[in-house]
Amino acid sequence: MATQPTAAKRATSVIISLLIVAIVLALFFAYRHTGGLHHLRAPRLHVSVRQLPYYAFCSLSRMTVAYVLALIFSLVYGLLAARGRAWERVMLPAIDIAQSVPVVGFFPAAIYFFVALAHGSRFGVEMAAVFLIFTSQAWNMALGVFESVRTLPNDSLEALDAFGATGWLRLRRLLLPACVPKLVYNSILSWVAGWYYLIACEIIAVGPAHYELPGLGSYLMKAADKGRTGELIAGLLTLLAIIILMDGIVWQPLSEWAEKFRYEFAASSEPMRSLGMLHALGSVGPAVLRIFRAVLRPIVHGVHRALAATPPFEPGKYPALQRAWRLVRIGLAAMAVFVVTMGIINGTVALLRTLLEPWPAAVRQIPLATGASVLRLIAAFAISLAWTIPCAIAASESPRFARRLAPFAEIVGSMPATALFPLIVIFVIRVTGGMNLASILLILTGMQWYVMFNLLAGISQIPADLKEAVRSFGLSRVATWRKLTLPAILPSLITGSITAWGGGWNALILSEYFVYRGAIYKVFGLGAMLDEATYQSGNGLMILLTLLSMVLVVVLLNRLVWRRLYDIATDRYRIDY
Amino acid sequence: MSLLELKHVCRSFPHAKGVLPVIEDLSFTVEEGEFIAIVGPSGCGKSTMLRIINGLMAPTSGQVLYKGRQVDGINLECALVFQSFALLPWLSVKANVELGLEARGLAPAEREKRASVYIDKVGLDGFEEAYPRELSGGMKQRVGLARALAVEPQLLLMDEPFSSLDALTAITLREELLDIWQAAGMPVHNIIMVTHIIEEAVELADRILVLSSGPGRLVADLKVELPRPRNRRKEGFNALTDKVFSLIEERA
Repeated sequence: MATQPTAAKRATSVIISLLIVAIVLALFFAYRHTGGLHHLRAPRLHVSVRQLPYYAFCSLSRMTVAYVLALIFSLVYGLLAARGRAWERVMLPAIDIAQSVPVVGFFPAAIYFFVALAHGSRFGVEMAAVFLIFTSQAWNMALGVFESVRTLPNDSLEALDAFGATGWLRLRRLLLPACVPKLVYNSILSWVAGWYYLIACEIIAVGPAHYELPGLGSYLMKAADKGRTGELIAGLLTLLAIIILMDGIVWQPLSEWAEKFRYEFAASSEPMRSLGMLHALGSVGPAVLRIFRAVLRPIVHGVHRALAATPPFEPGKYPALQRAWRLVRIGLAAMAVFVVTMGIINGTVALLRTLLEPWPAAVRQIPLATGASVLRLIAAFAISLAWTIPCAIAASESPRFARRLAPFAEIVGSMPATALFPLIVIFVIRVTGGMNLASILLILTGMQWYVMFNLLAGISQIPADLKEAVRSFGLSRVATWRKLTLPAILPSLITGSITAWGGGWNALILSEYFVYRGAIYKVFGLGAMLDEATYQSGNGLMILLTLLSMVLVVVLLNRLVWRRLYDIATDRYRIDY
Repeated sequence: MSLLELKHVCRSFPHAKGVLPVIEDLSFTVEEGEFIAIVGPSGCGKSTMLRIINGLMAPTSGQVLYKGRQVDGINLECALVFQSFALLPWLSVKANVELGLEARGLAPAEREKRASVYIDKVGLDGFEEAYPRELSGGMKQRVGLARALAVEPQLLLMDEPFSSLDALTAITLREELLDIWQAAGMPVHNIIMVTHIIEEAVELADRILVLSSGPGRLVADLKVELPRPRNRRKEGFNALTDKVFSLIEERA
């Protein structure tokens, strides 16, 4: 039985979440005006096929750097959070908020921050782009690590205790292997999400400053903007090729390798292997894996031997060292407190100054705009459900359909829809004459795959014996949906929906306001208001208020709707007999 | 006419390298009123055979005749009891028991009546509204049994029904199963039980079919003539157990 969180615990976690939002907002405002963005010289980006390999390389490097950072972050964060209830109490709500807050909205602030940090060099913009990709990758991976460690069976922890295995050995033999399956699975999802934001963040326009990072995303945007269809298609094909190759060479072998680390309790009918696009690459994968292993093994062994060879450190023997270490620790803590306090003070001052500015008339439209945006999200969500649930049911009925659907969904779903935005917008505006439908479709592209992938995972986890039981008692198709399929996929549906709404809010910011060939296409909504304030007027108050109302709606929806549904789903519709 | 007849049944599964034969040329008949136990080492295709009899799975070749007619699709005169219980975790005990009745199109009032009769019979009255995860293993299998009995099948198929339970619970449930099977007015006359516990087979069955492993073939077909109730202190029990054991060991 899941322990029901008490009202008091719920309240503290809400308060902690709001505190974190307040700190982030304060930091945001502390650094908003320290920009050196005006001095940036933008290099020219050439829309030519010959430059494509270079651009692809740039984008891929950005992705890799962000992913490695996300991997390190998620391991450290997840392992720390799983250490004890006290850590968990603070670290989980923080992740929760980070995951649900639309990071795209904070992107301009990140650019200001990093450009200032890099003294106005191009490196700052690079760091900002990597940071945005990182934020789209890190949270679910960290949660995956946390869940893996938290759900470790107690007896395996006790077994290691009983053998006196602690520290490095414990980490290497139990904790890290336990994380592998979920970490690999989430890495694949994160990689897909990373592409989505990479494409969106390589062309950066903040107020008067405009910057293009060399990369596939900026190439695609520019090719679309200039109407160079041939180059656009070449770029899209390059992107597709990279995605398929990455899947075949890296993710496919990794998820096969991860299978070894699964704790098997109930036998599910299908293993949780994710992408399976190209089986032709099947032999390349293991070879690459062998190379990885050949390179990594000596390093790991070296570290291991070194650690094993060092005699156990007895701090009692070195009182001076102990004192020094204590001083260092106190110093570090003091520094951290100082930086955060300064940030909060600066932020609060900047915040108050902003709030004291004359309030523009547009402020009064924020509630209505919020409503309009929520309606758009609901519409996109409804469309997502309308096609994914029937697909999932069909996949549960026919393994053959499931085998065909999975690779298709993987290819189409991992194509970053942001790359197709120009095409969608142009097409829909030409057909309907308005931006509203286009905007809903763009939001849909940021939502639907989360639902689909989660449903597919849910379907594959329905135990074979339950399917047999239902069949052997002769249940009709509809009765099988009602009694087995739908209840069984409910937890995945809720999890997928929560992620989808997170993606949806981000997509909203990219979807309600679109610049194409110098013309601005926008709809009435919160995302458009935020974009307008960021890119056109530069009005800090509007940025603050739109971001705040967005965060407020996200947190309220999460607490009042999704959290409750999730509790019900995991409590009643868990498969754990 | 026999109740059930298997004629040269074979079943193989696609495998990484070619096909893996699991059952090879299995033939036997089951007469009306028999309690049959099927024993064999793991991997001898016992469970596969049960699924073929139920119609969950088609044989690769050979025939399964039920009352002289070829089984094609799910045989609704059978009911299956699972080793893992296979209860739907989101349905209450009552709703689980009503599952098969609903599939057979019974009216809600009739369903309810029948479900409560069988829930009583397995000794679970008072637990109608409980959920499976609130029950102990033994109680879960009682639900599994009630769910199968509720459809009033002519042939009850049991796939290692007591293997997931502790020994004491298993003993009680075995006795209760015999009581139910022998009680007047129970529609179930025939039971085929797959098990790897030889004592269980000797205690319960009229006939024991011994299968060899990989692929499963019929090794022996033994009639059990010991008077009921049987237990290991009674004459002949241990001798038969030893005989079955050595039959399996020889072929393993």
